[in-house]
Amino acid sequence: MRTHIPSGAALAVLTCAAALLVSPAAVLAAEVVCHPNYDFCVEVDGKYPQDARFFTSETRGKFYVDIPSKSSGLLIDLPARRAIAVPATNVKSDPANGSVQVNDTVPATAAAYALSIEGPVLRFQTDATKVRVLKVLDRPPVVGPISFDDLIADRMEYREGMKQYVPEKVAIEAIKSTKKKIEIEAYFATWCPHCKMYMPKLLEVLKLASNPNIKLSLVGVPKNFGTEKGPWEGKGFSTIPAIMVKYEGKEITRLATHEGAIPETELAGIISALN
Amino acid sequence: MRFAGHAARLALGGIFIAAGCLKALDVAEFARQTASYGLIGAGPAAFLAPLLIALETTLGVALVAGWRPRLAAILVGMLLIFFIGLESWGIAQGHTESCGCFGAYVKRTPLQVIFEDLGFLALAILAAVGLGAWRAGARRLVAACVAAAACLSLGFAIASPRLPIDDLVTRLSVGRSVTDLGIASKLPDGGQGDTLVALLDMTDPLAKGAAADLNLVAGTPGAPKVIALTPSSEQEQAAFMWEAYPAFEVVPVDRGLLKPLYRSLPRYFLVRSGKVARVFEGPRPPSADLLSSPPV
Repeated sequence: MRTHIPSGAALAVLTCAAALLVSPAAVLAAEVVCHPNYDFCVEVDGKYPQDARFFTSETRGKFYVDIPSKSSGLLIDLPARRAIAVPATNVKSDPANGSVQVNDTVPATAAAYALSIEGPVLRFQTDATKVRVLKVLDRPPVVGPISFDDLIADRMEYREGMKQYVPEKVAIEAIKSTKKKIEIEAYFATWCPHCKMYMPKLLEVLKLASNPNIKLSLVGVPKNFGTEKGPWEGKGFSTIPAIMVKYEGKEITRLATHEGAIPETELAGIISALN
Repeated sequence: MRFAGHAARLALGGIFIAAGCLKALDVAEFARQTASYGLIGAGPAAFLAPLLIALETTLGVALVAGWRPRLAAILVGMLLIFFIGLESWGIAQGHTESCGCFGAYVKRTPLQVIFEDLGFLALAILAAVGLGAWRAGARRLVAACVAAAACLSLGFAIASPRLPIDDLVTRLSVGRSVTDLGIASKLPDGGQGDTLVALLDMTDPLAKGAAADLNLVAGTPGAPKVIALTPSSEQEQAAFMWEAYPAFEVVPVDRGLLKPLYRSLPRYFLVRSGKVARVFEGPRPPSADLLSSPPV
């Protein structure tokens, strides 16, 4: 049985088919919604640019790497094992939640780079840049004393953790208004997942309190801090973070750092006891 | 003195039978804990675990039944000295994990274990000295009981991982609250909505296949939310992400918190209104099964 197709309709069908064949990407184009993931960091030529970010997406197997110093972002297509340069015009940012929408319709001439996976590390090389995506905990650790500003400038995961933490206002006010000279010595590790959860809370509390009477000393410890020599020796801790609270030069207590610990409440309690 | 010897024999025998039986419920965990001391690898530990369980149970039965009780007490004492040495060595090496002496469900620190073993050693000495040349009557029957105990305990330890006893020996069962299980804070909305939870070991060869099944569920409109809880390290999670690219959230959970919920991984269960609504059987239930939820 033959089906009669009017000539006008046949022309329309042919036109559509031709359009599909000529620009398949335009039809298959998809917005890849990507969310920043602060468990991973981006290493660029052995350095960790402050604003380089890694994004996971709602599209399975696709990720996005944003290196603002480069003209284009990189869409990672894991099933295809390649990273594709995406022009900035294809990327829309949502400042409200930090997410980006990446239009994965890229010119056929867009540069694409082969990916390699080495255990927990994703690696590729663009024309002039070596890029690695790795867990933030796998970055070379901070070892030894470090200032508050240097730490949060260096560690994106701490900065973001601080942004996400909302401390109790009453406790912050109590910490802010104390005239007691308190020293806090914090021994932590940038390789330790537990410190990554706890330290941003403490840092945010002290930043909000901004009390010159409270002095914070931060000391990063190495993985083998039990045997390696350093300022952490003889401090009497075997787990980290270890947060020592000193008053008049003497250690009076240590802050609880378990999951769910609320540093501002505990500090406010200590201040209240000192009063 | 003989009365004290008998009391020590029966107490120690009971303790060793209990220790052997509890370990036999989760042989894989006992093997993992044994390997964690670093003296032997995972393979040899998996091979030795059922043998050690059978040895402990048999010695316990020998003490209770009175088959060569002095010899059994001496062997138990030697085993305890070995355990004390192993724990001390572990402490010196910074090993802080529970020993698994009474299976996966009784947790003590290595130091507590040493003190406990010293107490048991005192009982072994008391039994060996106090009993003198005493032996139970009906020796053939007693010997047959001990031989049967050896065979049964070895058989049970070998078969145990494949026996459908997960619901009996783990805390995960239908109707349990996720708050009681200690995982409420790890689940979306505290587990109030429908959530398919997968307990995954990212290093397990089965995990990649499990991720494919779970991706299918995660991508199905109207299906429950999918989440994986894992005791794996950050590095193992990253490697898993690159290899399996899961379309669901993977949440790291402390091993001590997760272990009471499984004997072997992967394990799946459905959470609804803050309670376990269904526990799926087997390491890889069919996707269609995972997608079918019990009616509200």
